[in-house]
Amino acid sequence: MGLSLRSWIANEGGKHCILITWLSVSAWIFWRTFILYCSGAEYHYLHKMLGLGLCISRASATVLNLNCSLVLLPMCRSILTVLRGTRQVSSKKARRLLDKSKTFHVTCGVAICVFSVVHVGAHLVNVVSFSVRYSDEFPALNVAHYRGQDPHLLILTTVPGITGVLLVLVLFLMFTASSHSVRVGNYEIFWYTHNLFILFYVVLLMHVVGGALKYQTNVDAHPPGCIPANQTRAHSDTWPNQEVDGELVAESREMSLVCKEDAHFQPHFPQTWLWVLGPLCLYCGERLYRYIRCNASVTIVSVVRHPCDVIEVRMLKNSFKARPGQYVLLNCPSVSSFENHAFTLTSCPTENKETFGIHVRVVGDWTACFSELLLPDLEHSEILPMTNQRRYPNCAVLPAPGCMWMVRLAVHQRKFSIMKSVCVWLAASELRLSPVSCMLSLMSGVVINCRGCILCGCAES
Amino acid sequence: MGKIEWAMWANEQALAAGFIYLTGGIVGVAGQFSGWKFAAFGIAAGVFVCLLEYPRSKRIKGTNFERTGQYCFTVCVKAFGPLTRNYYVRAFLHAVLCIPGGFMLATVLGCVCLGIASLIYLSAAIHGEHWEPILPEAEPTKHVSQSIKQPPQNPPPRPPADMRRKRLDDLEAAAYVNPIPVRE
Repeated sequence: MGLSLRSWIANEGGKHCILITWLSVSAWIFWRTFILYCSGAEYHYLHKMLGLGLCISRASATVLNLNCSLVLLPMCRSILTVLRGTRQVSSKKARRLLDKSKTFHVTCGVAICVFSVVHVGAHLVNVVSFSVRYSDEFPALNVAHYRGQDPHLLILTTVPGITGVLLVLVLFLMFTASSHSVRVGNYEIFWYTHNLFILFYVVLLMHVVGGALKYQTNVDAHPPGCIPANQTRAHSDTWPNQEVDGELVAESREMSLVCKEDAHFQPHFPQTWLWVLGPLCLYCGERLYRYIRCNASVTIVSVVRHPCDVIEVRMLKNSFKARPGQYVLLNCPSVSSFENHAFTLTSCPTENKETFGIHVRVVGDWTACFSELLLPDLEHSEILPMTNQRRYPNCAVLPAPGCMWMVRLAVHQRKFSIMKSVCVWLAASELRLSPVSCMLSLMSGVVINCRGCILCGCAES
Repeated sequence: MGKIEWAMWANEQALAAGFIYLTGGIVGVAGQFSGWKFAAFGIAAGVFVCLLEYPRSKRIKGTNFERTGQYCFTVCVKAFGPLTRNYYVRAFLHAVLCIPGGFMLATVLGCVCLGIASLIYLSAAIHGEHWEPILPEAEPTKHVSQSIKQPPQNPPPRPPADMRRKRLDDLEAAAYVNPIPVRE
């Protein structure tokens, strides 16, 4: 029991710690904003008009700000790679946490969806309140033009309303295309809808500019609930005579309740810009960096066909560094301009050789087209390694970090023992051989020719 | 690139839209806002759409992902035959169901989301897709061959090692006949 608890803490503790921290921060900022709008002096009149809908909508907006900024950070894969590789993050626990970046991204995404529902619901109530409780006393607070104005018009004729509708639609498309079945079945739908994020963020930055909700700027001169000066003079004429002390108290109370000036209202500075612009610029910079890096040419040196519909592609790229266990994203514009497909490296560049290789199993349409371009018309050929001098299509390779396989190899004296232990371990853990072969080739200094059957489950090497 | 199955995405959208329609309808009826009758219609339409869209269709190629407990819904939806099989019918149905939702604020979101799902279903129908039920396949009875029932009692009949060693000089003498016939 003690050992399992310690193991759990070592393996899962970090992840749960971050989750609890994130939940606590979200709960705290929700509660703080809720209280501010419920009982803050500068929102007194607005709260009187809108009620609970104001507090819930603003509190959920703050949580949305936090999550919209956090959701981008786990997707900065190049930065995560640098962190993983540096000496600053050398502990296995920290690396395991960095490997959970996608899970954190999904968590923040789900939080955005949930709080968007809350935010939209609260604002729909606010729209009705703006219409029904039109304020004649403080016209500057109103969004409606007259009492009883159709709430639909309020949504469709204001900047926050139109941008809000657009945001909900984009989020709906992104959310429905992110389900597991769509990702597995039709990754293109997921990929193209998820790239609508840039539209989402641009519209979000415009959504907060509307200035529908205002705060009172002169709370000192006009404390909430004070009596206007003209009404006070009328009261003092009819005020009953008091004793000396009582009169002084009554007068001082009267003075504090008198409004020195009318209430002034002003829209907020769009706080969302402060939350979101930093991570957005960081992520866009990273995408630009990846694009520039992948534009460097990649030369396909050789293509080898193996049994079980596997082709081995050896490539060469300037200053390409990789370690066993990492994978690359391959893009071939001749096949598809926008698709990047991940393949684990089966051999990495070393001091002796600069080429790196991947094994591609032809399963889907992209791999079928790709293999057809590389090795066309091979139905009648022998199943032997075939290397031809030919013009291969241009490809781009993106190093895709963040996928370090935790491979533990039993160190034995003889090579065949290593292979035995690896095979047994693979059978137990259902791990593919690609990263292991890469590691073995690096360790032994010999290029291990993996037969294609490995990748489809037959254990031979 | 490749054949996209639009119906899978449309199904996810329609299910989510049905749920949003239902929630908006409940809020509209509970708050007794003006036009709450449209909200009541939203509740009914939302429930209907959720029930219709719950069972996933069989994929053209690849693994099928069933939703939990969808078998009974599959049987019910399958019973309507071409009405539920055809995606043109579904696209039209969703378009018709979503229109009343636009007249009430609480159900506006459900209306728009269901409208988008209707458009995606139309795209799926144009691409020739249709709904196929995911039914458990009856496993073919495994024919157990006779030899498995009776494992061999004795090791294979082998003469001693020196006899088995290949004698190239005397091939005639090296040949032997198995004492027990080997069955296929």
